[in-house]
Amino acid sequence: MSSLEIDHLHKSYGSLRALRDLTFDVKAGEIFGFVGSNGAGKTTAMRIMLGVLAADAGEVRWNGAPLDLRTRRRVGYMPEERGLYPKMKVGEQLRFLAGLHGMSPADADAAVTRWTDRLGVGARRGDAVEKLSLGNQQRVQLAAALVHDPDILVLDEPFSGLDPVAVDVMSAVLRERADAGVPVIFSSHQLDLVERLCDRVGIVRSGQVEALGTIDELRRTERPQWRLDVQADRPDVVTAVSAVPGVLVAPAPGRTQAVVVELTDSAVGAEQAVLAAAMRLGAVREFSPVRPTLADLFRDVVSAGEAAGEPSQEPAPDGRRRRDRRKVAA
Amino acid sequence: MTTRGPVVLVARRELRTRMMTKANIVSMVVMLVVILVGAAVGRYFLEREGEPPTSRVAVSAGAGALAPQLRSSADAAGLDLELSTLEEDAARQALADERLDGFVGGDPASPQLVVPEGEPDGALLETVTGAVRSYVVAERIGDLGGDPAAFERALASAVPQVETLQEASGGGFDGAAFGVATVMISVLLFALIGSGTMIAMGVVEEKTSRVVEILLSTIRPTQLLAGKVLGIGLYGLLQVVVLGAALVLATRILGVASDISVDVGAALMWLVIWFLLGYLVFALLFGGFAALVSRQEDISSVTTPLMFLLFAPFYLTMFLVPNDPDGTAVKVLSQVPFFAPFMMPVRDAFGALAPWEMPLAIAICAVTIPVLVWLAARVYQRGVLHTGGRMRLAEALRG
Repeated sequence: MSSLEIDHLHKSYGSLRALRDLTFDVKAGEIFGFVGSNGAGKTTAMRIMLGVLAADAGEVRWNGAPLDLRTRRRVGYMPEERGLYPKMKVGEQLRFLAGLHGMSPADADAAVTRWTDRLGVGARRGDAVEKLSLGNQQRVQLAAALVHDPDILVLDEPFSGLDPVAVDVMSAVLRERADAGVPVIFSSHQLDLVERLCDRVGIVRSGQVEALGTIDELRRTERPQWRLDVQADRPDVVTAVSAVPGVLVAPAPGRTQAVVVELTDSAVGAEQAVLAAAMRLGAVREFSPVRPTLADLFRDVVSAGEAAGEPSQEPAPDGRRRRDRRKVAA
Repeated sequence: MTTRGPVVLVARRELRTRMMTKANIVSMVVMLVVILVGAAVGRYFLEREGEPPTSRVAVSAGAGALAPQLRSSADAAGLDLELSTLEEDAARQALADERLDGFVGGDPASPQLVVPEGEPDGALLETVTGAVRSYVVAERIGDLGGDPAAFERALASAVPQVETLQEASGGGFDGAAFGVATVMISVLLFALIGSGTMIAMGVVEEKTSRVVEILLSTIRPTQLLAGKVLGIGLYGLLQVVVLGAALVLATRILGVASDISVDVGAALMWLVIWFLLGYLVFALLFGGFAALVSRQEDISSVTTPLMFLLFAPFYLTMFLVPNDPDGTAVKVLSQVPFFAPFMMPVRDAFGALAPWEMPLAIAICAVTIPVLVWLAARVYQRGVLHTGGRMRLAEALRG
């Protein structure tokens, strides 16, 4: 099965180490979400994939062979810093780019018409790019990445600055390309979108993949957690629930009344006992399993790094264990 | 896919976007209009001042035998003669009406010259006198049994043959050659500055608009630079040819082409050749250096030294070459690639070139260009993705 392999990439800018041993892969037909805080190395990694930057070490491979210029012509790329000739007309510009990707003038013309119509900027083909609104420029930018019917899609922040309708169009296009067997990798800070759209997610911090897997794999917690909200004083709740063997109780973050109950290995299946203990105290308003959102995971990864004292890469033992757990073999 | 495809595509885009710019079309048209209107106005003044004197002279039927002598005598005196045959009464009427400047009547050997008023015009009197003299001489020789035509020929060749042992040493200042040369290297300077700036702005525009990142994910930096240099070069060449042709046309309109000792066509050819060489030398530097900056505001920091590199040879050429077209300093400098494009065509216009000098200068340029290609490509490749402040040249070269 063909896949895009990012293999042990290293890159430094002077004393700043932007990528340290970055490794992951994106399979054909898969949408891969690339998330990480600002400066984590996402853009650097994407630039290296496109050959715009040279890696200090490591390799990017497509179908087992290094991604060379010829293969890169078959990649659709949307850089983080949007770039089009401002004074060039939309249609002319896209035809030019399609030509650079090796398309014949006739094919290029047809593709430009198809994609500009699809992305809702068909009426603006004759206008200079700088005359378009930012959102429409963004659509043209996406058209530039799609116009040559690429074998691989690498999109840096494709959703930023789009209105909800455009987000839907863009999501549909990405899914459609993935279904056509194209590996799609995109970075985004809109984590809900990533959660909804991506087959797999990689979270990077300081140039390393800290978590990698499907959304479900990432959200699975080592110990089941439940959120409990009882109509009673919280200290009483903590005391009462803690009495159940093997159960850890902590105040739920951001809530005045609720607590989070964590069931340790010895307490598997103890949730009924917890519920019973709670009901004895008062009316139970909420008792639900807690599954971390991607945003929670993201915050976890970022704060783990801070706790480990950046930029040192020696995380606390428990930190490492937690990350290892999330590095699910793909 | 060969590497030619993208280069041609980039070049075509450059050519098309440059040609279609309103500013460029306007400036081109304005310059053409200025050159041609200037030529037309110049011609008007030249004609008014330098109009050769025309004399309308009539001869009577009796003095008609003087006509051939009048013509050749007028030629010798530089007088534009309009000769007609009239009877005396009609001629006197024409003189009164100022339709005639003189009337020659009576005996061809001692004719009567009638003028409208005052003393006859000196040139006219000289012409008529000369004509009468040669007529009389011819008559007498005929009477003596000689051949008047042979006598005329013998007389015409009776001038000394001048031989100069040593050429005048550089003292002669050739105004026409200087004029043509000045105009030519001005066009060259204009075209080189124009296209060099265009390349620098194009490189920085791609950096500022970030489109360079998309381009470089598809093609090599060298292909991008090559296409840009090629496309803008073609545009610059077009400018040179159009402006050069307009200048040639202007010399035709002025009617001075036949007066100056310079072969304007050959000069135009050299202009094109030296534009191409000079363009490659400077365009590559402009392209490479512009990649060091990321904002249009910073362009001048890299183009200023290059402008200096263009203006210095231009002014040195203007000051040095006309006074001493084959002095040692000029000879040496004109072999240096940055100076050659300016000095060589001017020295050629002055006819001061030894046969080996032009080929040598072209060869030196041709050898330098690959070095500059390498240098520019290296700087460009390092610089073009560098954003933020200005990248230092040494940094780009070191990599």
